[in-house]
Amino acid sequence: MELSESVQKGLQSLADPMLFDLKTFSVLIEVAFQSLVSAHADSSVLDQPEFKRIDQMLLKHCHNAATTCILEGVKQNADKSTISSCLEDLRFDAERTDVFYSIYQKYRSDLETLLSSIGRCPPHINDVSWRLEYRIKNGHVHKVNEPSYLISLNVENANNGGSSEDLHFSCTMEQLQVHNDLVGKMKDAAKSLEKATQL
Amino acid sequence: MLLVLSDEHKEHLGFLPEVDSVVVSEFGRIAVEFLRRGTNPKIYEGAARKLSADAETVQHGVEGLMYLLTESSKLMISEVDFQDSVLVLGFTDELNQLLLQLYLEHRKEVRHILSELTPSLPHYHNLEWRLDVQVASRALRQQVKPTVSMKLHLEDRGEKSAKVLQTDPATLIHLIQELEKALAELKTTHCRRILRNIK
Repeated sequence: MELSESVQKGLQSLADPMLFDLKTFSVLIEVAFQSLVSAHADSSVLDQPEFKRIDQMLLKHCHNAATTCILEGVKQNADKSTISSCLEDLRFDAERTDVFYSIYQKYRSDLETLLSSIGRCPPHINDVSWRLEYRIKNGHVHKVNEPSYLISLNVENANNGGSSEDLHFSCTMEQLQVHNDLVGKMKDAAKSLEKATQL
Repeated sequence: MLLVLSDEHKEHLGFLPEVDSVVVSEFGRIAVEFLRRGTNPKIYEGAARKLSADAETVQHGVEGLMYLLTESSKLMISEVDFQDSVLVLGFTDELNQLLLQLYLEHRKEVRHILSELTPSLPHYHNLEWRLDVQVASRALRQQVKPTVSMKLHLEDRGEKSAKVLQTDPATLIHLIQELEKALAELKTTHCRRILRNIK
């Protein structure tokens, strides 16, 4: 795992029993993971009673180093040996490495889900609404007498924070149903998805 | 249902009995062509010269025919009703038959042309799909994230557009289920009753 010098220094401080005793260290690591997973940025995250006696600048630097290291680990899908060797190089003793790794295991899959949702993608379909109408007449043609569907796809742009919009279009029964049209094609896609998962 | 022809309209059509039935057929052909592609005033002048008549009279005659066609097609009146409506003009039987034939032959096409004037939403044209697996991103390496990419082709009065969209397997199944529910609606007693009785 490649970590910058500043992050390495922060971690080395964390490893130092003169600066952080084991209990304070454990609390800080737990806090670091939680602050990554929680939905809202909480400015009081470092207001734990265990941190009262520690220099605030040092505390912030170490918290920052810890979260960066965590994210790097999750991003690279780091296993136990990668993390252990990385931390040992930064003078972590075996006990602290174990504490770190066990908390890492606890939060790992939530963090993976979080990271996998970050990124660019084409507008993402979330939902579909439909309306069936029977067209009787309009200003230009009378006696139309045809059923028609109005479909709305609810689509979300880019990231989670992106705007969502509706894509409206109309569709006849044949276009919706007959082989090779909308539903038929979606079913083909679903079938090949199923086949792919069995490979 | 009878067509009610205004006096002005009757006057315009009054030109028709004064010319040969061949000419009337020709006027009919021109009228349909104008409905398809828009009017061309030069034709009126050419015809006027050949018939030694006023260009304006010729224009009214053709326009009268066009209006007769559009109104009858819009209302989709029956043969009998058409004949009865035209009777009021006092034309010869031969002319009446000619007009009837003109109507019957072209009414479907005229209705189609008229329906292009109605307000409409883009309608479904085609759907292309593709199965992808996202294996890595800037935020997270070593992923296995199946996605379905789709290109939805829509058409709005001749203008085609294509939108690239994406969805995940769970949403795809949901979309299929919703749309199948929509299709099932058409088969319910309620819908069938309406479709059967409003004709």
